Amino acid sequence: MIKPGLKKTLFVCLLGLVSFTLPVKKHTNIWMIGDSTMCQYDSSRFPLTGWGMPFAEYFDSSVTIKNEARGGRSTRTFISENRWQKVADNLSAGDYVFIQFGHNDEAKNYPDRYTPPEDYRKNLIKFITESRDKKAVPVLITPVSRRKFDSSGNALETHEAYSKIVREVAAQMNVPLIDLDAMSLKLLQTFGEKNSTLLFMQLAAGENPDYPLGIHDNTHFNAYGARHIAELVLQGINDLHLELSDRIFKKS
Amino acid sequence: MSFAILFLIMSFVLPEKQKTTVYLIGDSTMADKEVKAYPETGWGMPFHYFFDSTVAVDNRAKNGRSTRSFIEEGRWKPVVENLKEGDYVLIQFGHNDEVPTKKSYTTPEQFTANLVKFVTESRNKKAVPVLITPVARRKFDSSGKIEETHAIYTQLVKNVAAKYKVPLIDLDQKSQELVQQFGPDNSRYLYNYLAAGENPHYPEGHKDDTHFSELGARKMAEIVLSEIKNLNLDLAHHIRVVHQKEKK
Repeated sequence: MIKPGLKKTLFVCLLGLVSFTLPVKKHTNIWMIGDSTMCQYDSSRFPLTGWGMPFAEYFDSSVTIKNEARGGRSTRTFISENRWQKVADNLSAGDYVFIQFGHNDEAKNYPDRYTPPEDYRKNLIKFITESRDKKAVPVLITPVSRRKFDSSGNALETHEAYSKIVREVAAQMNVPLIDLDAMSLKLLQTFGEKNSTLLFMQLAAGENPDYPLGIHDNTHFNAYGARHIAELVLQGINDLHLELSDRIFKKS
Repeated sequence: MSFAILFLIMSFVLPEKQKTTVYLIGDSTMADKEVKAYPETGWGMPFHYFFDSTVAVDNRAKNGRSTRSFIEEGRWKPVVENLKEGDYVLIQFGHNDEVPTKKSYTTPEQFTANLVKFVTESRNKKAVPVLITPVARRKFDSSGKIEETHAIYTQLVKNVAAKYKVPLIDLDQKSQELVQQFGPDNSRYLYNYLAAGENPHYPEGHKDDTHFSELGARKMAEIVLSEIKNLNLDLAHHIRVVHQKEKK
């Protein structure tokens, strides 16, 4: 026979134990820094969709996506406009920083965006070091492929120099790497030259009221393409066995 | 001062009064989806994005509903009650009405009567009903020609439209043309087809010849929009006008 008082104490102890053993996931943020291929768009520009938009729909409630990516930004302008500082100031231990730049860094014909290779490298290292200073986890992502095929229907590498730098920095600093350039290039090859247009902002004149003149864009994705790219990044998280992969939505 | 006050009052009174609501009533091919069902997309979802600020799209379509179950569950009544003069009711049913083995089955006579009910009660509130034939399923014969999958119920919609002089969008026909244009293989891109392991919401993969991907839903919405223009409905004047910059 256990005394009623003792019974109560036992119950409280048990409750305390359970609350420690149940896998209560600590809340985490995924900060996304990058360019127009990743960013959020207003519905007035639909079907234009950054891959960060559908990406946000595949996590459990312990994750908040903070998509800070902005169109037209290179690593250099993202820093000079103080956008990085704002992210760094708000990082918590255990947060993730997903880094995908390159499209604008490599654009020599846009001097206001262009970042020479060595500066690009330094800027990536800055993102990594300052994330780690805040005990956040940086993840490097090579720039998603543009749609470019040769005359025999082979999808062509479009970020050769800058993707290589991302891979080198990842290896050198032991940073988890998602080689989205390679993965998306493979996706484009699977779709083929003609069908891959279905992934991009390709609209006939008069088809969609937001683009009355039509549009033929081989860089920016529509909702369908952005989701396919998001699927590749989710797959990359799983392949890396990041703790984050336990927070990807699981069908119960 | 008094002018400022007047302006303030107007800003509260005017916009609400003038806003036109476009109600969508129908089934899963039109409905808004829960996030956990993404990338399955109803064509009512992209349809939201096409209009200027004088129009609000209110998508009441629901997965699995026929005209009969939509009415029986009390989904039609609140639409009628909220209708005001100049509003639109876009009506697309059939997928769940036409299948005798489904609980939602509705006989042809009842289907006709229900459509007439939607039309009449909309008009009683001076709203504009628009009938839409059920959007195509992906079904090809062995020679690669798309098959009609709603023959009887599409015809019933057309009959009601003709008899009651209701604007008609023959989405069945138009979407068949689109699916045919994509062909037996590529038309999979329009529907919710996913490989195993591709998408966390469908870990085992998915093959669906009825429900759309983001791409298919947007294409269907674009068809409906272009037919609204062809019908010369007043609503066509409230499609968003964008002055697109020429590409550099």
